[in-house]
Amino acid sequence: MRIGSALALLGICLPALAYADDLPMMNRSEVVHCANDAGGHMWRVQCDPATKVCLYAPNEELDSEGDPVKPLERARECEMDMPFDRAKLEADGFKFLPGLPDAPWGWSRDERGRVFQTNFDLHKRMFFGVGYTPRKVYENPLESTRTSIDFGLLSFDLWNKGDSTRHRFRFVQGEVHLEPFTAEMVLAHYDFSHKFIDPLVRITTFIGEPARHDLHLNVGGWTEVGGMEIHQTPLGYSQQWKHATADLTFDIWQSANLDSFIRVRTGVGLEGQYTDVTGYRSAVVYGSAFEIDTVLDKEGHNNLRFELIHEIPRYFTPLEYTGKVARRLLAHAQYETVLLAINDQPVTLKLAVGGENRDDLPGIKSQWAFVMDAGLRFSLWAPPRPR
Amino acid sequence: MGAASAALIAIVVAVSAEAAADSRCTGITEEESRFVTCFDLGNRLSVTAGSDGFGSAIDVRHTIDFDDDPDLTWKLEHHFAETTHAAFENAFDGTFYRGRYIRHARDGHLVIPFGTPKKVFLPFDIGALAEVGTIRWRADDSPVEIGVVKFGALLDFARTRSFRRRLTIGPVSRWDVKTSRNLDFKVDEHIVAPFTTGMIELGAESLEGRTAGTLRIEAGVAWSSLRGWVPEARAEATLERIIIAVNDRPISLLLGARYETRPDEKGAVTAHISARITLFDKRDVRVNLHPLTASR
Repeated sequence: MRIGSALALLGICLPALAYADDLPMMNRSEVVHCANDAGGHMWRVQCDPATKVCLYAPNEELDSEGDPVKPLERARECEMDMPFDRAKLEADGFKFLPGLPDAPWGWSRDERGRVFQTNFDLHKRMFFGVGYTPRKVYENPLESTRTSIDFGLLSFDLWNKGDSTRHRFRFVQGEVHLEPFTAEMVLAHYDFSHKFIDPLVRITTFIGEPARHDLHLNVGGWTEVGGMEIHQTPLGYSQQWKHATADLTFDIWQSANLDSFIRVRTGVGLEGQYTDVTGYRSAVVYGSAFEIDTVLDKEGHNNLRFELIHEIPRYFTPLEYTGKVARRLLAHAQYETVLLAINDQPVTLKLAVGGENRDDLPGIKSQWAFVMDAGLRFSLWAPPRPR
Repeated sequence: MGAASAALIAIVVAVSAEAAADSRCTGITEEESRFVTCFDLGNRLSVTAGSDGFGSAIDVRHTIDFDDDPDLTWKLEHHFAETTHAAFENAFDGTFYRGRYIRHARDGHLVIPFGTPKKVFLPFDIGALAEVGTIRWRADDSPVEIGVVKFGALLDFARTRSFRRRLTIGPVSRWDVKTSRNLDFKVDEHIVAPFTTGMIELGAESLEGRTAGTLRIEAGVAWSSLRGWVPEARAEATLERIIIAVNDRPISLLLGARYETRPDEKGAVTAHISARITLFDKRDVRVNLHPLTASR
């Protein structure tokens, strides 16, 4: 039976649509049939031979009254020319149920067929935010309130399904805190993770049944150019100009798509320090870090970062208190979660805590100081994460 | 028969090409020579000369469209290396990069992703502006003003698919630095507005791209490392009108006025008039200087 005559029957027999939040959605990778009912409205129908269920839905977006108003967005093409025989399907045991039209990966639909994004890749975005930053310094607990902004002009990862390398780019990313003033910014950041298929070493044990154990060494790279830190100290401003840094990374753990990792990195950088009292001096910096960067759910709503950084700047001109060698120990943890999306652009809540203990800032005693941030970020782009 | 069919096809193709062009955008002289009457103001390399000095700018604008969602368009405008150097004194204004990104969707909405995601209709497009690396100095001994970054979240109530109209409102965040003139790294003052200033911008461009105007007002409070929180306001209006074109490269008249408060002095109004000469530009797609002709 051709689709025209079959769908005349379909139109007569379809029950009224049920509008519920839990309507099943059509599978985007399976064929969807389209046909007109007796009233001239087009319907989408998808049948699953495994479950013996056929889902049907209007082929248009509906208004609040249930009337069609516009074509569906981001729905797959439906088949108009394939044979579709409802009577035969029902005779074969298929049951017809209301459903939602299909949507691309990372998108969903409401009961009116309107599409919206539910999955966000926060590794691909432009963002800017504002935060409230209570700060407590051990020797001055009254200095407890300040505001902060953060920003990222462009962040993106290059990775396609099946790739063994993920490239990560960040441009003009940083944050600024008020009272006391501190600012950090990096002009350009690039790092990559590589998943080595062949193990560095494979060990075969012969105690009991012979068994093979692979040891992988997933080496990558990490570079930053144009970093800057400004700190307000009792002796004026101290500026750190991190001209360039290059590290080797060793991934302890990688997710399958390489967007989450636990790693250590170590390397060397060239920086300069300017303070109002000492002027400018240069340093070579030996640094290492332990990092965790992970996406906690497949929708990309929850993201966690942790950094523990140890740096040893070796200055060409001695510092007053520490000589030529100073020390910086920095720790930073951040959790970011998607609160809502405006026109499919996510607004996220950022919670962060950090601490530092350093002796390279004139007028600042070497002791732990901690800072907390709670703020909102607005992101542009943030497409769905790759499946 | 074959030759006739080929001629017919050629004529149809020629007619289709003519239809794609806009007759308003292509002038024809009595000698049948053609010239450009519509201009793409968003894609050009131009130099300016006027009462505020000499300058240059690179403008690029484009859209990103989606086959599976024809109602969605990203409108992206980029401005690189905008500079103005005063002719007879040591004064300079420059911007390394400024961009405006608007996500135009036919149905704006807000999604609350908790539980079953909910969708709420919104009557505006959203977007952002970004400005990186502005610099300003004047002939007096005042410090050099460096705008490190500036970001704004934009709500565009004009909701057009084209670049010709915009009515954007939104909060703005920025970090500026004032430093000494001798480039010794010494920073005199940091100024930070953590989304404590608001911006409203109206922009319009004529259908032919021969006239364009912008009015932008920013006001709010900003934190200064020297003065604490201080109120500030700035307003800027520009009008551009193309008056002639040489070899189809437009030369336009620019009129501008700016008001800006300074924390340590009275607000100042400045005005300028200048000519903008476009050295290279992208030809407006509606222009058809080389019509296809039927060949036999």
